[in-house]
This record gives sequence, C-alpha cells and structure tokens, in this order.
Amino acid sequence: MKFDLDSYKEISDSLMRNKRRSFLTGFGIFWGLFMLLFLIGGGNGLKALLSKNFSGFATNTIIMGAGQTGKPYKGFEEGRYWQLEFKDVERLKHLFPELSIVTPQLSQWGTVAVNEGYSVNSNMLGADADYQYVETPVLKYGRYLNNVDIQQHRKVCVIGKQIYQSLFPEGGDPCGQFICVNSVYYQVIGVNYSSSNININGRSEESVTVPITVLRDILNTGDAVGMICMVGRDGVKMSDMEPRIRQAVYRKHTIAPDDDEALFMLNMEPIFKIIDNLFKGVNFLIWLVGIGTLLAGAIGVSNIMMVVVKERTIEIGIRRAIGATPFDILFQIVMEGIVLTLVAGLSAIVFSVFMLNALEVIAHHETAFQINFGTAMAAFFLLTILGMLAGIAPAYRAMHIKPVDAMRDE
Amino acid sequence: MLIELQGIHKTYDNGQPLHVLKGIDLSIDKGEFVSIMGASGSGKSTLLNILGILDNYDEGEYHIDGKLIKNLSEKEAAHYRNQMIGFVFQSFNLINFKTAIENVELPLFYQGVSRKERHDLAMNYLERFGLADWASHYPNEMSGGQKQRVAIARALITQPRILLADEPTGALDSKTSVEVMELLTRLNREEKVTIIVVTHESGVANCTDKIIHIKDGIIGETTINTEHHASVFGSETIMK
Repeated sequence: MKFDLDSYKEISDSLMRNKRRSFLTGFGIFWGLFMLLFLIGGGNGLKALLSKNFSGFATNTIIMGAGQTGKPYKGFEEGRYWQLEFKDVERLKHLFPELSIVTPQLSQWGTVAVNEGYSVNSNMLGADADYQYVETPVLKYGRYLNNVDIQQHRKVCVIGKQIYQSLFPEGGDPCGQFICVNSVYYQVIGVNYSSSNININGRSEESVTVPITVLRDILNTGDAVGMICMVGRDGVKMSDMEPRIRQAVYRKHTIAPDDDEALFMLNMEPIFKIIDNLFKGVNFLIWLVGIGTLLAGAIGVSNIMMVVVKERTIEIGIRRAIGATPFDILFQIVMEGIVLTLVAGLSAIVFSVFMLNALEVIAHHETAFQINFGTAMAAFFLLTILGMLAGIAPAYRAMHIKPVDAMRDE
Repeated sequence: MLIELQGIHKTYDNGQPLHVLKGIDLSIDKGEFVSIMGASGSGKSTLLNILGILDNYDEGEYHIDGKLIKNLSEKEAAHYRNQMIGFVFQSFNLINFKTAIENVELPLFYQGVSRKERHDLAMNYLERFGLADWASHYPNEMSGGQKQRVAIARALITQPRILLADEPTGALDSKTSVEVMELLTRLNREEKVTIIVVTHESGVANCTDKIIHIKDGIIGETTINTEHHASVFGSETIMK
C-alpha cells in the first residue's frame, strides 16, 4: 500500500462524511486539551504572580531578634530584657560553618527623609554588605553597600523605590546627591527597586539603607544589634539548625535552655515550603483535571470510532474483498483516529494560546500566563499517542472484519 | 486447468455443525464461461466464497493456476484476491462516498500503483464500458446497470485470472440484466476472461457455455450449453 495524496483523501473523506459527528467527537479532545493547557498557563501565571512577592529573598533564611525571657534562670528573674550583640554574629559565624551568611541589622522607625523641599516618611535600616545575600536588591541606579562603606563608617545610603520617587520626582540618577534623614546627610549611592513583599524591618520600598556602623554611631547602641539574619549553605536544613543556634545564643546570654519566649526566631524555610507545596498541589490538580478531561475526550473518540467501524462493516468488507490487507484497514482506522485527535488538539493549542494571551492583556502583561513552546510540543506528542491509542481498539475490531461479512450483511 | 477443486468439504459450526459442501470436485479451464446453479441452501454461495478465497475449507485441495490455496494468512489471502480474482456482487458493493472512478481505482490503490497510473487505467476501463461521462458521479446518481458496469470495471482493472460474479443480475431489471450478461459474454469472447457466474436464474445460466448444477453440497449434472438452449424459458430473454 502506498501512502500518497489518496491516503489522506481516504481519511478526510471518511471523517467528512459525517461532519457533525466528527466535530462533536473532536470537540471532546478539543475541550480536554484546552482545559489542560489553559489551566497550566493560568497556574503558572498565578504562581509567577505570587512568587513576585517573595522574589529576591533567600529561602533558607532564619531571622532572629531578642525578646523578654520567659523563665527564671540562674538567679535571673523572668521577664528580663536582653539584647543580641555583634559578638553573637561573630560567634555564630565561628560556631556554624553551615551558615553562609550571618549578618546583623539595626533599624530606626518613623524617620523622615528630606531632599530640597521634598520629604517622605522612611525607615532607617543599618545593614552589612552581606545583607544583599539575604534580600537581593534590584538596583535601578548605583550600587549596594560594600565592606569599605562599613569599615570607614561612610555616610552613604541606598534608597527604596518609594523614597526615590518622593524625593526625586523629576527622576534621573540620584547617585552622588545628598538626602537628609533625621538631621544627618547621606550621599545616595544606589536605588533599590525591589518590591518584594517579604522584608525585614519594613518594606524595602520605604527604606533608607545605611552602613550598620553608621547607624550604630548615630543611635549610640553600643554592641547591641536589632536582628541577626542567617542564610544556610546549599543543602543545609535550617529547621535542624534552628534549635542549635538557639542553644548557642542562650548559653552566652544565660537564658534557660527550655525558654521559648526569650528569642524570636523566624525560619523562612517552612513558609516557603508551604507555598511550594501549595503550588505542587495546585499543579497536581491541574494535571489531574486536565489529563482526566483529555482522557475522557480520547475515550469518546474511541467509542465513536467503534460505532463507525460497526457501521462501516460492509464498506470494510468490500475493501477486504478487493485486496486490502488487514494492515491496510488497521492503518486507515488508526490514522483516522490520529487525524481527528490532531486536528481537534491543534485547534485547542491555538485557542488556548490565544486565550492565555488575552489573559495577559487583561493582566496588563504583569505576569506571563503563556504556556511555553515545550509544553505545546509535549501536548502535541501526547495527542498523537492518545489518538493512536483511541484508534487501536476500533481498528483491531475493523481488522477482524472478514470480506464475507460484507455480503452476509446485505 | 486454471481452477481445480478436489474433494472440498466445508462445515459451518455455529452451535450445530452444518455440513455445507460434501466433497466438491470441479475443474474450470482458462477462458471458460461457466455458471454455477443451485437453489438457496445448496451450498453455491459457500462454494463461491471458497473460489474467491473469501473463506477457508476444511478438506480437499484448491488450486488456482497450479498454486495451492489453503490455510492462507489474511495477508496472503488479500494478496491473492487482489491479484487473481475480480468480484462482481449482486448489490454492486460500490463504496457510496466514492465516485465511479475512485471505486474502480481502489484495487490498484491497494496494489500500490501510483496515483496517476491508476487514474489513467481506471478512466480507460470506464471508457470501454461507456461510462466516461459518469466518472466523477457517485453510485447513488447512477442506474443499476451503470453501477454494475462500474463494479465490473473495478473487478477487471487488476486483470484477474478469474471473474467471479455472484448473482450479477439479481438487483437489475430484465433489460439491464440482458445488457450485463451481454457485456460478460463479450468480455469472455473478446478478451478471454474466465468468468464464473453464480445464479439461481436459469435465464442467466443459459447465457453461459457450461452450467454446473449444485445440490445439497455436491455437484449434480454439468450441462454443456454452447448452443444456449438450456433454459426452458428460451434463449432470448432473462426471466425475472
């Protein structure tokens, strides 16, 4: 048997013979694939939209700050105030090589930043150069704090998006200019456009970040630090680290080992894990629903083709009588299944790409809902296989039609 | 001998065994025009199915042109049918959603003949049967006689050794029946096509040169009918 133009014609002829039935059968596939792709695209878009909130934040981070002790210990009453110190930072670095970053933070809330008649409420944040590895800045202009800034107590600052927009309404590169925060002038060295919603000590959009050594001098806090942020090295489980770090700090500050209130520790890992699991669950559901619908469509195709084969017994019998081999018949029916599935499926891919694009337009292109090319190709191959599987049972039945059946059915 | 059957037995086993053919011995030579006559239930359809390699037989031997046709796989059977046998059916068995020329082309399609070649050949055959103008018409737009001529063209396009006609006039009126039988006669005379007609109409059988009577699964008498006077109803018409 040759595969030429007429082979296609054979297939299209038999599909076009009952247009409405072919259409309705194909629609099952169409809808199934559309659902799958649209859900995948929508799910990815939603994930991207949510991920924006945590973007730039190291996922295996622990943040800790001192509170009041909750238990009396070694002569101390409960309810004692204590403070984390720069020495703790050094000690933690020394004790736990598993931590890649240990960085202290100081803060001053409710400050006002001023530049030539413009003023805006802000938070002062004293940070180390290392802090950029905890919360990645998105620098629109300039640079972040570096070690020299810290060592030389330079009065420089990195300002958040909102500060920049309020103090420099004309726009342009503000680096080199001076802004005044609480009567002290700082030279702007960078603009941080990060709009992530996970921040420590205030939204980074409203922050003026200065070297921690500068803020320490100004606030005169001595050795005390506000918070310490720690990032574990790759593969280190921060949940396991948490109690060890806690005990190390407690020992030094003479706090009861079983005191839960003295040290506030925020482990980001489980939070990210929850979100991650949530999306895994959502993805699982998407695939379950999508594949389920698609499968139902494919079974529909198989079902209808079963009926079609039954209907075409005489025709197939005639073909067999004039020399079609069982394979010829098998091939034709399987091809019909594949063609029907592919035509419906490709329309579904086109339609879902179109709809996802429309969704992006509605969302003002803030997130990408579009499925990628790989997903579309995977869907295409999945379809071909589904089409083939859908055709196999009916084709098997058709193959066993004997030429005499054509005459018997007269 | 083109066709040789020796001691063919066939039993259908649908719950109760039904012994249909009880030892058929038959030989038909190249270029013969033979009819097989018998009442319904005589086994003539079964015999036709076996002759046409549409069905298997249980005992005996069947040779076409010296080739033993026995226990063939479906693929081999399809191949032999395609190469050696042309079928003409009572109800034409054209494919309704294909035009006349596509119907005629179909056996060549399964032979793997190229598109253009089979199209030209099919057109050639349709012209010979005076159907050139009907080439692109669908079967339901044609008369019974035209349909049967399309079917004959389809049967002959592969140049088979044997043309098997199963009640070829069964669905036709007497006038077109005569035309179809004349066409078959002409094909036999002019192109030496070996034709086997299965019928229960004596008028149809009378058109052939040899009439083989089958009764209760065995061959009865064989009448040589070169004079075409076998029919009690006369030689000129086909009684309906």
